[in-house]
Amino acid sequence: MKKQKIIVSAVFAAVIAALIAGIILTDSLYVRTEDISDVMEDAVLHERNRVALFGMEVNPGLISAFAVTAVLLVFAAIVRIFVIPRFKTVPGKFQMLMETLVGYFDGQAKLNSPHRNSFLGAYVFAAGIYIFVGTILELFGFQVQAVSGVSVALPAPLSDINGAIALGCLSYLVILGGGIVNNGIRGAGKALIEFSLPISMSFRMFGALLSGALVSELVYYYMALSFVLPVVVGVLFTLLHAVIQAYVLVMLTALFFGEVSEPHVKKPKKAKTSEV
Amino acid sequence: MPLNIDWQQILLHLLNFAILAFGLYLLLYHPIKKFMKKREESYREREDKANQTLESAREKSEEYARKLADADREIAEKRKTAEQQVSAAREEMLKDAKKEADAIVAKARETAREEKDKAMKEANAQIKEIAVEMAEKVISHGADDAFESFLAAADKQEEKDES
Repeated sequence: MKKQKIIVSAVFAAVIAALIAGIILTDSLYVRTEDISDVMEDAVLHERNRVALFGMEVNPGLISAFAVTAVLLVFAAIVRIFVIPRFKTVPGKFQMLMETLVGYFDGQAKLNSPHRNSFLGAYVFAAGIYIFVGTILELFGFQVQAVSGVSVALPAPLSDINGAIALGCLSYLVILGGGIVNNGIRGAGKALIEFSLPISMSFRMFGALLSGALVSELVYYYMALSFVLPVVVGVLFTLLHAVIQAYVLVMLTALFFGEVSEPHVKKPKKAKTSEV
Repeated sequence: MPLNIDWQQILLHLLNFAILAFGLYLLLYHPIKKFMKKREESYREREDKANQTLESAREKSEEYARKLADADREIAEKRKTAEQQVSAAREEMLKDAKKEADAIVAKARETAREEKDKAMKEANAQIKEIAVEMAEKVISHGADDAFESFLAAADKQEEKDES
């Protein structure tokens, strides 16, 4: 038993040593074209490494967004065709997962906006899934060819400021729409009071997701940090802020939607007391 | 634009998300929610049905208890009526028996009286007959013989009565 343990440990150590040697020896094959400050600046602004799409030059974040949409729609179609018709009254593991997801977002919508929530439920479901899967995408590091010829890893769609602004403003429009549909001008007024909401939601998401991308870029840039840290930083950090950002946007949207769509209750007038 | 904000890309992101949201609603959110709602309704129906069955069972139980109580009361009433009837019949029978016994006793008394009278009449007639016979014998045989004859005739009569 002891001998077996020694053999396994020795083989494991040999494999690790071989991998480290291989990584160090092959490092000289790659020539860095960009400085770390350039890499990080481009991760924020996407001004240099743009990608061609139907004759336009777009940020890699938009390609990520399209990829996420395509993946999610294909997955949804497969589930709709092959899984949902086989749903059972007593759910299996996958069915339980799907029902929990739908039930969670629907529950959030009902909890925060008890009066009108069917549209809100569908919206927060899509937004939550989009943010989570979009953020997870950066873990895979899918490469696309930039116009400049450099290979660029696909970032999270919302680490692109345009994507964050789009989702932040859309969430605000949903809140505004909910207010108008339920309370008319009063609802619109309530939503318009929170005029800073689209900016704060957009930049919160942008900042949070960008910070994740920047930390990952920083870690992956330096060879010495690429061994143990990426597992912790790359996977756990990405998973964590994917969940947090999805939760925050869903919560804020549902909360403000519920606030502006709440039916107005007239306060009873105070009886005038006659002065003696 | 500062920060590389591009309106065209914002619109493309919006279009992308609109397609995604619509697709997810159509393919996942709506069918799963519909299934969950249907299952919830089915559970509610089952619960309602179970409650109805329980309610029905409770009503039936109450009805049976009521019927049992009614039956007990009816049985008690019938028993009471029967007892009263039996008691009345017994009294009637006793009364009849007494009447009958009285009649029998009266009849027996009448018969006994009649028989006594008859016996008395017969005895009187026999006494008369014996007396006449003795008188005849006395007259025909003298006084001693007459006395002996009287005693012999009395003995004879006694033997006849005993037989």
